Amino acid sequence: MELRNITKRFGNENDGVLAVDDCTIEVQKGEFICVVGPSGCGKSTLLTVAAGLERPTRGEVVVEGKPAGPPGPKRCVVFQKFALFPSETVAQNIKFGLQMARVDVVEQERLLREQLEIMGLEQFRNAYPSELSGGMQQRVAIARALVMRPDILLMDEPFGALDAQTRTILQEEIQRLHREQQYTVMFITHSVEEAVYLGDRVIVMTRRPGRIKEEIVLSRDAAWKQGDIEAAAEHSDFIEARRKIWALVREEIVAR
Amino acid sequence: MTQTWVVEPAHWSAKTQATLYGAASLLGLLFLWIAATSIFGWIDPRVLPSPFEIALRFADLLVDPFGGATLLGHVLGSLKRWGLGVVTAAILGVPVGVLFAWAPLFRAVVNPVFEILRYIPPFAWVPIAILWFGASTMTQAMVVFIAAFPAIVINSQLGVQQVEKILLDAARVYGAGSLRTLRRVVMPVAAPTIYTGIRIAVSNGWMALVGAELIVGKNGLGFLISQGQNNDSVSTIFVGIISIGILGLLIDTIVQRSEKILLPWRGRLDQAGGI
Repeated sequence: MELRNITKRFGNENDGVLAVDDCTIEVQKGEFICVVGPSGCGKSTLLTVAAGLERPTRGEVVVEGKPAGPPGPKRCVVFQKFALFPSETVAQNIKFGLQMARVDVVEQERLLREQLEIMGLEQFRNAYPSELSGGMQQRVAIARALVMRPDILLMDEPFGALDAQTRTILQEEIQRLHREQQYTVMFITHSVEEAVYLGDRVIVMTRRPGRIKEEIVLSRDAAWKQGDIEAAAEHSDFIEARRKIWALVREEIVAR
Repeated sequence: MTQTWVVEPAHWSAKTQATLYGAASLLGLLFLWIAATSIFGWIDPRVLPSPFEIALRFADLLVDPFGGATLLGHVLGSLKRWGLGVVTAAILGVPVGVLFAWAPLFRAVVNPVFEILRYIPPFAWVPIAILWFGASTMTQAMVVFIAAFPAIVINSQLGVQQVEKILLDAARVYGAGSLRTLRRVVMPVAAPTIYTGIRIAVSNGWMALVGAELIVGKNGLGFLISQGQNNDSVSTIFVGIISIGILGLLIDTIVQRSEKILLPWRGRLDQAGGI
């Protein structure tokens, strides 16, 4: 997927708000890209444009050489606030996209079971979202996305609404999933640590209007990616990368 | 699970307590009434008959027709007109409310008319209804409809508007078009609010019905009351009034219970202690 010269302005030319200014990002197949930046820098806007939920004022979104068009299950979004359908059970939520795509019922069931197992949700199959903890709800939301086998998974601060312990565990799971299944991911976060731990490449954005400040490529095989984020913090190169990226983000936060 | 153990007993006893207080209050009122009428005779029976007299009259009316029908006949007549009005209001009101929220153009066209009409009290329509339908079931059903319709429209609109944008985004991302989003996401999420509207409509309609029956008609609980008045039978009037109250309560209870059955995820939500 490519974001080409994306500019997004809310409101009109003169007194509108320029949220994203001329951002170009190319995501390779199987790559895990993290976008970090100060809050309000337009990184979430960039993701909604990538998903097709907002049209860019200028620029275009290209998937495999073709304009991406309206939103659809090829670009699945995992929202910060989960966005599960409250009147549907876990199983119904996960099957939602498959049913919209009119996938065969037997196949639906098979994919559902597979996904429930991967995300450790088997026993919650018939629960409603309101009966689950935040961490479990986000697991369901991730399962709902993965079951569609998307070309790219767009994650908008997916762990932002979770408590620290749950976040650590889910970060580790996402890391493991990506390693095993080679998903292509664009991951928005304000946590530098999370970005360094998860990303093959970290894109730092400036404060509003959001531009791309710098791209840092991290080694995919870095030793720290094998364990959890706590263990990662013991590797000196992890600390170094984190320090470097934090310095860039910090510049944007304190800049006048 | 442990929490359930701690919370449940307190919860139950509070509920039982409330029920006991309620029962005590009703019994106290009944006793006071008996005392004032049968025991001490403070109140003239032509002003307020004793509960025993009303109970006797109630039994009479169950068996002997009065004003053209037994009590059951009047009740069924009232329920039929009320049902006709409320069901029509729901069938038309829910789509109108959903369209108000979903289709801005439709709202722009229809809303001004709706806003003017809804400030006209239902009873102002009685003469027109008589003109159109005569003293028929349709007349009262129309008054019920007018009383019930706005609450359903407004709450349906509200319910749909309250659906979070993020859910609509999610539906789009996972490939649902407008119609399927409406059916699978918007309507279920709006349903509790729509249900509230229906509950209000049900009671508005019931009240308007009795009023309409007092003015026009040949049958029904309102008619029974007006017949009681014409025949100087205070106890008949009270049988009518009490029946109206009890039936209203019964209807509301049924509507409330049916919500729990129709919207199971809401029921479980309540158990889980809200969102």
